[in-house]
Amino acid sequence: MTRKRRSMAWIDRLGMAALVAVTAFTLLLLVAPSLIVIAISFEPRAYISFPPSGFTLRWYQAVLENRQLMDSVVVSLRTAALVMLICLLIGVPAAFASVRGRFPGKATLNAFLLSPQMMPGMVIGIASLFFGAYVAFRASNTMLVLSLSVFCLPFVIRITMARLAGLDPRLDEASANLGAGPLETFARVTMPQLAPAMLAAAAFTFIEAFDNVTVALFTSDVRGRPLPVELYYLVQFDSSPVIAAISSLEIILSFLVMLVIARTVGLDRLGR
Amino acid sequence: MDFLVIDRVSKSFGKLQVLAGCSLGVPRGTVLTLLGPSGCGKTTLLRSIAGFVQPDAGRVLVDGQDISDLAPNQRQVGYVFQNYALFPHLTVADNIAYGLKVRRRPSSEIARRVAQALELVDLGPYGARHPAQLSGGQQQRVAIARALVLEPTVLLLDEPFNALDAQLRMTMQIELRKLIERVGITSIFVTHDQLEAMTLSDNVAVMRSGAIEQFGPPLEIYDRPQTPYVASFIGRANLIAGRSEGGVFAGSQPVRSGVADGDATLVVRPENIAIETGDGPGWPGSIGFATALGPTVEYEIDCGWKEPLRAVVPRDYGRGTIPARTAVRAVIVDPQAAIVLPGARHDGH
Amino acid sequence: MATETTLLRAVGRWRHPLTSGGLAPALPAVLYLFIFMVLPIGTLLLFGFVNIERGRIVDGSFTLQPMIAALNDSLVWRLMWRSFWVAVVSTVLTLFLAYPLAYVYGELRGIWRTVVLVAIISPLLTSALVRAYAWLVILGGRRGIVNQALLSTGIIDEPLRLLNTDLAVLIGMTQIHLPFMILPLLAVLAERDKRLEEASLNLGASRTRTFFKVTVPMSMPAIIAGLALVFAVSYTNFIVPQLLGGGSYSTLAVQVYEQTIVVLDWTRGAVLATLLLGTCFLFVFLIVSVGGRLTRWSEARP
Repeated sequence: MTRKRRSMAWIDRLGMAALVAVTAFTLLLLVAPSLIVIAISFEPRAYISFPPSGFTLRWYQAVLENRQLMDSVVVSLRTAALVMLICLLIGVPAAFASVRGRFPGKATLNAFLLSPQMMPGMVIGIASLFFGAYVAFRASNTMLVLSLSVFCLPFVIRITMARLAGLDPRLDEASANLGAGPLETFARVTMPQLAPAMLAAAAFTFIEAFDNVTVALFTSDVRGRPLPVELYYLVQFDSSPVIAAISSLEIILSFLVMLVIARTVGLDRLGR
Repeated sequence: MDFLVIDRVSKSFGKLQVLAGCSLGVPRGTVLTLLGPSGCGKTTLLRSIAGFVQPDAGRVLVDGQDISDLAPNQRQVGYVFQNYALFPHLTVADNIAYGLKVRRRPSSEIARRVAQALELVDLGPYGARHPAQLSGGQQQRVAIARALVLEPTVLLLDEPFNALDAQLRMTMQIELRKLIERVGITSIFVTHDQLEAMTLSDNVAVMRSGAIEQFGPPLEIYDRPQTPYVASFIGRANLIAGRSEGGVFAGSQPVRSGVADGDATLVVRPENIAIETGDGPGWPGSIGFATALGPTVEYEIDCGWKEPLRAVVPRDYGRGTIPARTAVRAVIVDPQAAIVLPGARHDGH
Repeated sequence: MATETTLLRAVGRWRHPLTSGGLAPALPAVLYLFIFMVLPIGTLLLFGFVNIERGRIVDGSFTLQPMIAALNDSLVWRLMWRSFWVAVVSTVLTLFLAYPLAYVYGELRGIWRTVVLVAIISPLLTSALVRAYAWLVILGGRRGIVNQALLSTGIIDEPLRLLNTDLAVLIGMTQIHLPFMILPLLAVLAERDKRLEEASLNLGASRTRTFFKVTVPMSMPAIIAGLALVFAVSYTNFIVPQLLGGGSYSTLAVQVYEQTIVVLDWTRGAVLATLLLGTCFLFVFLIVSVGGRLTRWSEARP
């Protein structure tokens, strides 16, 4: 036992210390802002203070009573749900063609389907706004949903493609060998294996559509602002902890989505 | 007529010809092993019987019926995949029940047959588990049960023991052989392990480059190989180049030859060579490398040929291993067991 | 069984649904993207070269004027330069912060991995607003967290002007884009072949030397990918500069927003957006090309 720790060169000691220090700093940097916001939301006084001088839920109550904010939450929820549906409906079949298709130009198709990722949200937003004007279509919730779907489509396609590509083709053969036709194989073997990934894709798309500012600022209508846009305008003149409260609620929502993703495809899959 | 017939089946993938006019017949209730190295086409042939591969030419017949045009889900042949291909999202019982559910059998019948199948492979209490929770050997048994529960007339197995470790492999081979005999089903194995072929089968088809080189019972293939390739693939063999003249393989140890005059190859198994010292008949040489294998000793004898002669002799507990560079004579023990083949090529090895 | 076989007809080649090797299932998506992405982007590019009045194009007014005016405008170049260097600095900072964390993650097991993942992904799933707001709160004036702490402990007498500065924008950008850099690195570092490092140690190198001579170079493809990604989102980010930089602070991306939504000069907005997008692609291309040279060894030769 006495010989367990070999003496380390000083450079290794230094390196390891630096590594740990930077890592700790980064972790702190990642979580501190969110934690601070949540803490502030309980501050009884009408201005920002950290640590909070007391505990109160009045700001959360203020959120619930704020008609404009609640309306925007509803808009965001509705928008996110619609975007999720659209992206699933057109994205999942597209993933099938990308993974299992055998036709010339498949690589081009894949690049095209994933191309919205390369566009900054702002560009998609402005482009949609201009195109809408060109065809005499004003900014509205519809335009918001349609433009956000473009933005979010690659998420669904990528997650579905990853799962699909990982399926064992032998399972399809086994299913056929046991008597199932192509459709039955799809229903009994492919879909059940795909379901968790689709759930994760749905959750991720939902939250991305819910949270989005860059596209929404351009394509949403004044009369029906989604939450992040509402906050964007609110933040510029309201300095009370109300915004901290609604932000905390958003953070909680993000945790719920993380739970879904963790239970289905696993959090570590988001990096790929 | 044989129960399963493969009639001149050919298949190419792009420019690569994988099967070149394969033909063979499997009698009812017997076990056939397709034996050969990687790339010889044995798995492709198996998959052609199952319908996963559509041959470019030829037919497959089962019990007199031509099934060549049937889709895989219409063929009613059992197939056990190399990695078992168990459905990960279903329990063991549901895996086995899969084919029955597809056939829309009533649930009472399904339950009964699944229970029987589990008993058959000795996995009774494992029905509710998922494949990921089972060991490799158990998974293999589930795969077999899943195929057999549908009572197919043919069972196809693609290198089923590949994923198992050596110890388990031997046990499972014997278990499987007994099971097949009990059920009485016509079976075809694919393997590259010649020992497996000897253990399991009634017949062996040695394949090379998409064609069947020799077909017959294992011992016949061992005792009477028809080509140097087959001689080297099953068991070990010394291939000695020479000439056949007037019905005799010429040399200091003449062997009766049924081959026409010309270049010929003599095939002598290592266990058919005895090592003697002093003067006398035989091929002179000196001991090279010696390997003690336990019950036997394998010697490499340098006779001045291109390759050393290999001899396997029982251990001499009294005298021990013959030292290297000893001058010896290699003598054929039983000339009748030596085979003369036409041609002088050294194929295989 | 045999009788069933004879009754069934041949189906021919076995086809799998949703494929048959076909492109059909992707058609809805292709059509959708064409209508709602390709055409709009085309319109965006077009608007930079026409006169717009009240949202409609004035007929026959194709002109290079707005684009030339923008290219001649020194303000545009200054803004572009600011966008560029802010993006570069924050991207590099992000890399230096992200890499150690991604590396350490590879050494963690079990629950600690989950904890770190949650820390990384949770900010990713909240809106940019919430994250920018957090920094508004932290870096604010008299009421800002940092200033409150410094004032109350007596370290300073007057609140520091942290907001509405380049520093605030840099800090905000760096922190907000951290997850984008960490995740790709995480994936690669967690699954790297540690035996290469073991070989290095075995050959006598120190851990630190191994880190810089083996680990980092091996992960270069992921580093390049991360740099490209974070640069792109930083360069085109207008939320952070606007909120944390204040009213008089502007970058090219901020200008695009203002011209389009506030000033309602759509032509100019379109021109600037085109410039923004074009230069962004150019810089990313450069990053990837230079990076490609550095990672020649990772390309498999045919």
